[in-house]
Amino acid sequence: MNVEARGIDTGHRAQRLSLRSLNKSFGVVHVVKDLSIDVAPGEFLVLLGPSGCGKTTGLRIIAGLETADSGQVVLGDNDVTNILPKYRDVAMVFQSYALYPHKTAAENIDFPLKVRGVSKQERELAVRDAAAQVHMEDLLDRYPRQLSGGQRQRVALARAIVRRPSVFLMDEPLSNLDAKLRGFMRAELKRMQHQLGVTTVYVTHDQVEAMTLAHRVAIMDRGVLQQIGPPREVYDRPANLFVAGFMGSPPMNFLRGRIEDNRFESHGVSLPVAADKGTMAKDVVMGFRAEDANIVKPGAGLFDATVYAAEPTGDVTLVTLAVGEESLSIKMPRDYDIDFDKAVAVHFPLDRGFLFDAHSGVRLAARLVSVS
Amino acid sequence: MTSGTGPTTTSQLGHVAPAGLNASVTTRARLNEWLDRQSRQIFIAPAVIMILIFSVFPTIASLVLAFSNIRLRAGSYQVQFVGLRNFRKQFFGTEQFHFLGTFTSISLLGWIVTIASAAGLIWWLYRYAKQGFAILGFIGRLITASVGFGLALLFSATLFSGNPFGTLGVTILYVLVGCTIQFLIGLGLAVLCAQPIKGRTFFRVVFFIPLMITPIGIGYSFRMLADTTKGPFSPVWQWIGLGDFGWANHAWTARLFIVIGDSWQWIPFIFVILLAALENVSRDQVEAGQVDGASGWQVFKEITWPQIAPVAATVMLIRIIEAFKLVDLPNIMTSGGPGIATESMTLHSFFAWRALNLGDSAAIAYLLLFVTVVLCVSFFNLIVLKRLRPT
Amino acid sequence: MITQDIRMSPQRSLLRRWFEPKSIKQMAPATAVIVYGLLMLWAVFVLFPLYWLLITSFKLPADVNAGPVYLPWIDFTPSLHAWRELFVFDYEDTLRAYINSIIIALLATALCVTIGSMAAYALARIQYKPKFATIVLFVLCLVAMAVVVGRWGVDWRLSLAVALAVFFVLARAVGRHFKATLGNGDILFWMISQRILPPIVAVIPIYMMFQSVRLLDTHIAQILAYSVVNLPIVVWLMYDFFVTIPTDLDESAQLDGATRFATFVEIILPLAKPGLAATTLLVLILCWNEYLLSLFLSTSNAQTMPILVAAMNAGERGILWWSMAVVIIVMIIPVVLMALVLQRFISKGILLGAVKG
Repeated sequence: MNVEARGIDTGHRAQRLSLRSLNKSFGVVHVVKDLSIDVAPGEFLVLLGPSGCGKTTGLRIIAGLETADSGQVVLGDNDVTNILPKYRDVAMVFQSYALYPHKTAAENIDFPLKVRGVSKQERELAVRDAAAQVHMEDLLDRYPRQLSGGQRQRVALARAIVRRPSVFLMDEPLSNLDAKLRGFMRAELKRMQHQLGVTTVYVTHDQVEAMTLAHRVAIMDRGVLQQIGPPREVYDRPANLFVAGFMGSPPMNFLRGRIEDNRFESHGVSLPVAADKGTMAKDVVMGFRAEDANIVKPGAGLFDATVYAAEPTGDVTLVTLAVGEESLSIKMPRDYDIDFDKAVAVHFPLDRGFLFDAHSGVRLAARLVSVS
Repeated sequence: MTSGTGPTTTSQLGHVAPAGLNASVTTRARLNEWLDRQSRQIFIAPAVIMILIFSVFPTIASLVLAFSNIRLRAGSYQVQFVGLRNFRKQFFGTEQFHFLGTFTSISLLGWIVTIASAAGLIWWLYRYAKQGFAILGFIGRLITASVGFGLALLFSATLFSGNPFGTLGVTILYVLVGCTIQFLIGLGLAVLCAQPIKGRTFFRVVFFIPLMITPIGIGYSFRMLADTTKGPFSPVWQWIGLGDFGWANHAWTARLFIVIGDSWQWIPFIFVILLAALENVSRDQVEAGQVDGASGWQVFKEITWPQIAPVAATVMLIRIIEAFKLVDLPNIMTSGGPGIATESMTLHSFFAWRALNLGDSAAIAYLLLFVTVVLCVSFFNLIVLKRLRPT
Repeated sequence: MITQDIRMSPQRSLLRRWFEPKSIKQMAPATAVIVYGLLMLWAVFVLFPLYWLLITSFKLPADVNAGPVYLPWIDFTPSLHAWRELFVFDYEDTLRAYINSIIIALLATALCVTIGSMAAYALARIQYKPKFATIVLFVLCLVAMAVVVGRWGVDWRLSLAVALAVFFVLARAVGRHFKATLGNGDILFWMISQRILPPIVAVIPIYMMFQSVRLLDTHIAQILAYSVVNLPIVVWLMYDFFVTIPTDLDESAQLDGATRFATFVEIILPLAKPGLAATTLLVLILCWNEYLLSLFLSTSNAQTMPILVAAMNAGERGILWWSMAVVIIVMIIPVVLMALVLQRFISKGILLGAVKG
């Protein structure tokens, strides 16, 4: 039997996936608002965000498990918005893996081909091939209950791979694994996607996974797409307060204040600001990252602060400082030590400081400039 | 009054005097403590004693009665040991027509069924013996096979040879035919109700009601409904030309109506449990199957059914156990008639008791117990356990 | 690669539109028609007998005998004739049977659920290790007693005393010799498997037992008998419930000084309320509907409703369907109401856990 005629591709041409203005509400809750994303062929796109932000719903709409209220899903050249999941040529890895408990690992992997009527011979080959790619060849006869969490996850992956679909969808596949295994599987996933070159949409709430795996990250909050771009860009040039606060560990430091007369004013902080087009006085939030900043002698920095606590973590020392009523985190080298309540000052490169509008959250064009 | 010293406690019942307090410990507290130490026995004793008195002992006593001839003399019973006479009567003696049926000769179809079932059962035993023989398992299967063959022979000689069969056959008929129909329809309804429909609660409530209605009421209601002159379907009967047909006067129609009445009552039981089981199947797995490309039928066959099979097997076991006890419907709808055509074994035993043949009554009851236990245990071991294992 | 179908026909063919659902959460139009059709058909099959019963109770004898009439106020005028007859003329018998049913069902349920729950709790918390040999000895003593009473007509009180005495004397010795023990699982199985016993097997000796202590045709006899018959169900359902309650609660209560009984009553039972409610309702309904045991154990004074109704099947005039309908309705209304409450528990999957186990 000709494998190609059955819809199985031995090599695969990566497909482009487009989401156009997707909207979805459950009752009165508007879960996905006007979502538009273009995923390039072979790209690894991560949908990142806190729980309830609509990322899983978005994924299920792509799969066809939910129907969008409006908008389109286009796969390659085909509008698949109103087509049943089984015709869409997508494969999905569920958070719970959704393995069939009464079938062996081999039978689980075999299932998608079996229901499409592929011949037994070809199925055996494909199953062995997929199992080899996830290093599960010798565990094929076990039942899911006899496998560990990581092994089950690999069976779920193999089941997705075996069909050579146009798109992989993954719903938080690593969240049920322990930390060490998660790190290992991240590398495995990245490599596998690179080798297969299949367009992948990956949902997670873990920004470390997003940073390490993605070609591009799409951050969502409460149904709205906040920013989409390569991990570096999302990290170094956040589009708004939410993205800035979501990425990075520890989270970005924020100081609430106002811009008046071209100066940023906050408790004990006064820094010159270059604002184009005559900015009016407004409430702003200034942000900078813990790893960009340094602790210096009082008066030698941008503003003063007092030490609240110092935590040596092994590879760095996290120092928490108090400025007015706010607290800031600074990453210092591993040998750094300092006493409680010591008066210090904070310094960071001005181009690593951001200014956000306090109400809309948008990053302002205004920026900090040097004192002189 | 609990013990004098110590903090106040919540309930009188609940306080046990802490060890070491040697202040005036009242008898009440001492009693409480002794009771608590005996709680191991006290909790379980009532149930055990009740079962011993009203279940275990009567079962043993019934066996004694089955081996006896009992006469009522001057207000008390005179029991006379007669060995297997009561049983022999049912199988080979004067009651044979009543219990087993009337035998003339076995037709060709009868012979075919007999030989086919004998061959099948022997092959089944042989296969078991080859793959991992265990002495207890083999004896169990031997018993099952023998009883199975006995029943096959019974039906070959009666049903398939155009002869009437007795209460044993009637009971087996009710169980096998009734339970099969009830399972299929119950499963079908559950599958229908598990679809994305509106008003599932309405159907669930409505379908559940018949299960709880007193069988006596059901019996009379169906008699009313089936009446060819006064019942609601009489125009239909007239139109077909069966206007004066007495359904209760013909063996097979009488049996049919009893099966209908029984099914009306018991299908809800299977439906409710299977529907709950279907709703419990992990949604993720069904969705995974749908994304993988399975059609509705494939999802059911490969994913849903294997997961509800254990529940289905258990629920059918319960149903079969209860089906053997059927007595209300035949008694009310047809009084076991016409003749003995719808008389279940329980009813048979009741009639014997009413006619003061206590020995016969006990013997028939014991035969029912034997058949019930063999078939239910076989069903459990061969079907229920097999379903419960893979998951 | 998208399969051929999509590339072939961008628009769904007529056949596909009828037989395939538009999205994963809907049914295809043809499927919907079939599904709703079949379900409504079965709903009619369920409700029609009840409807017929209801309108028959409002019919006059002439209406019934002349041939079927279907719609009240259109085909016939509903009348309270049959109802009046029952409540005014046959009042006493029906009322007595009704009250007997209520008393017996309530008390039997109370007894059954109480001792069943206690046993289930004990099996869920305490490890029992009865010696197999002791049990065999006990059964032998029982058999001996049955034979002695049956065969040689020895007075049952005497033989019971002797059998028990023999058992207690030998039990310790036997127990020391043969050490094999059974466990909780076996006891549980023994209790639940009592349900396989067809009541007809036990009822004849029970009849004789009650007759010899002159308790036939009383409430107490039926209460005891009904309790035992439904005990397996209570033990089975409640055991599954108690097993899911963590033992931490028991342990903490006992550290606080509570007796086992207090723990059971004040802490565990309130947690098992839904299961308890479901089980109670179920047993109540079963006791209300009980026929065979009542048939044997009651003659006139302690008759329950099912017997009363069954006995109306008499006389040469044939069945008076209108008054029969009234009595049946009066008999089944309590159970229907109880069933409506019970079904909410069942749909919450409360009893499913037991079946799965």
